Amino acid sequence: MIPGPAIVYVVDDDASVRDSLSSLLRSVGLQVMAFARPADFVDADRPDLPGCLVLDVRLPGQSGLEFQRSLADWNVAMPIVFITGHGDIPMSVSAMKAGAIEFLTKPFRDQDLLDAVHKGIAGDAKRREETAVLADDQARYDRLTPREQEIMAQIVAGQLNKQIAADLAIAEVTVKAHRAQVMRKMKARSLPDLVRIADRLGDLRRKA
Amino acid sequence: MTSVPPDEPGSFASTLQPSRAHQRFALLILCILVLALALAIPFADVSLTGSEIWLPAYASAITVSDTITAALIFSAFSILRSRALLVLGIGYLFAAATTVPWALTFPGVFAADGLLGANLQSTAVVAAAKRVGFPLFVLCFVLLKDRPVPATARPRVVIWTSVAAVLAGVCALTWLAVDGGALLPRFMQGPQQVAALWTAVPVTAAVFCVAGIAVLAVRRKSVLDLWLLVVLAAWLIELFMLAFVSGGERFSLGWWAGRVYGLAAASVVLLVLLWETTTLHIRLAQAVAAEERTRTRQLSTMEALSASVAHEVNQPLSSMVTNADAGLRWLDRSEPNLSEASAAFGRIISDGHRAGQVITSIRSMFRKDTQEWAPVSVAGLIDEAVLLTQDEARFARVSVVTASSGDLPAVIGDRVRLQQVLVNLIANALDAMHAVNDRARLLNISAERDGGGDLIVAVADTGQGLDPQLDGTLFEPFTTTKPDGMGMGLLICRSIIEAHGGRLWAENHTPHGAVFRFALPASAQHQQATGSA
Repeated sequence: MIPGPAIVYVVDDDASVRDSLSSLLRSVGLQVMAFARPADFVDADRPDLPGCLVLDVRLPGQSGLEFQRSLADWNVAMPIVFITGHGDIPMSVSAMKAGAIEFLTKPFRDQDLLDAVHKGIAGDAKRREETAVLADDQARYDRLTPREQEIMAQIVAGQLNKQIAADLAIAEVTVKAHRAQVMRKMKARSLPDLVRIADRLGDLRRKA
Repeated sequence: MTSVPPDEPGSFASTLQPSRAHQRFALLILCILVLALALAIPFADVSLTGSEIWLPAYASAITVSDTITAALIFSAFSILRSRALLVLGIGYLFAAATTVPWALTFPGVFAADGLLGANLQSTAVVAAAKRVGFPLFVLCFVLLKDRPVPATARPRVVIWTSVAAVLAGVCALTWLAVDGGALLPRFMQGPQQVAALWTAVPVTAAVFCVAGIAVLAVRRKSVLDLWLLVVLAAWLIELFMLAFVSGGERFSLGWWAGRVYGLAAASVVLLVLLWETTTLHIRLAQAVAAEERTRTRQLSTMEALSASVAHEVNQPLSSMVTNADAGLRWLDRSEPNLSEASAAFGRIISDGHRAGQVITSIRSMFRKDTQEWAPVSVAGLIDEAVLLTQDEARFARVSVVTASSGDLPAVIGDRVRLQQVLVNLIANALDAMHAVNDRARLLNISAERDGGGDLIVAVADTGQGLDPQLDGTLFEPFTTTKPDGMGMGLLICRSIIEAHGGRLWAENHTPHGAVFRFALPASAQHQQATGSA
């Protein structure tokens, strides 16, 4: 069902709930790491795999909702499935607004939990893939010479070779050579492809 | 059979014990009145011609003051249901009502011969009725006041009937005084001078006043009694001034002095009653607010408790469901994983035990060790419960009646828990009578032995009765007819009674209301039962 390995992190202070959740998730072939406290999850050496976090709202020391906010502050973009013994609507609304995938009230149907977890993992896998592509783009971009980066900016801005040459006071043939180098180094198949890559990098720069 | 009126300790001027300050103040007023009498005597027969124009003002002041006093006393009657208060209220209303024809027929005030076609005797006849009538009503109050209070239904109807009767009576009196002709006694020999026959009036009134003062002096208990003593004394001084000092001369200084002192005394009494009422209202409002706070606190405690119980039970329950799901999935795999499945089943078992422990610990909250049980007197238990709930009963305007047959055996049990049951049943009964307005709100608590030697305690109300829809679920958890009820009260009551080896049941009462009964084994049988168990 899941392309490739994935891991589910369970954080619940109740040992029996923790064990039952682990067992259920393992029975469908998922890897599980279970923690009694949020701090244990943060400190743990987590494998580099697409994952999902199953969190009890009522946790020792810190409520699940506070923990969700802390994770966002730390830039941990792990999808979260909340489970609760005493779910009320305002609580679930604020959890969902903060990006939770699902808010399940105990006792829940196993399929509901598994669906939510799979949705979370799929989302996380997609996010990781996008992050990886972006990292590749960035690495390629970093390999361009300053002059090539300058010319790439002009190309994606829609400038013709002639205009670029006039602008930089170089020969048009030199621009053509640089342009070929940019397309090759950035692994862009066409001009629109290069524009898409530049957009992604621009997003990244804006976020940083 | 003892009757506990819903009013025992002081909340009203008629039930409040007078303090030392009250007594000193009353004495001061009396001294001032006597001093004023002494000062006025030398000038008593100075005639104040032309002072007739002040009479309507005086009459209005007296009428208003007496009417308000009557209203205050009637309102006290509507809650306390004491017949003595009714009589006193009627007396004040009578005094207020007779002042009107008295002033209207007074010669030389509104018309030379008085309005309403009055003759020479009219005003004097009305005055005589008032002079003699009011002290008579007060005397009746004094004689009735220590009688037990019967359960009067519909005080409002009684009050309005009385008001109508007084007004009708005063109208009849006025008609008689105006049209009676030769039937009328000859009290006056001229518009300003009284005849010899008039002397009989103040003397009779004085006799009633002195009798009232004497009884009040001996049986003075409440603030109202104290101030009635002052009123009668003022009334006596007024009589003395009007009849003897002023020599029966109308509009003389002595005559006016009597009027003014009487008005002053009446006003002081009214002010004291108003002050008492206001103070008591403030105190009542504070008490209600305090009770409200306590209830809110109890309620939120119960909510917190139930939320915590729900969490404690839900936790293992949820984990059982998840373990069972996991177990099925381990078995349903193409290669069933038996060890994982059996681990899941093992966890289900321990979760089940855990849920059981939660239930046991909740149950133990409502059960106490029988080692601490002691003999408990059921009659004493009922008296205590009535005492504990008397404020609520008074507030709900419910009369509480208790009846226990003489030789009730003690039961072995937990006094506090049994108390809790009774208080809970009483509180339910009071709530059930909340909406009752067309019949007496009566709470009847009785204890007796049945044929088998068990003790039966019954709590009967005249409320709405049991909802037939609740039949069979009355004692189940979360069954409630109250908007803010938890639905735990009767469940806890039943578990306490059953822990004592007894039974608790409910049925409708004829013609109105519900009756909750519980049976407790008498002490000897109870010891046998626990001994063999």
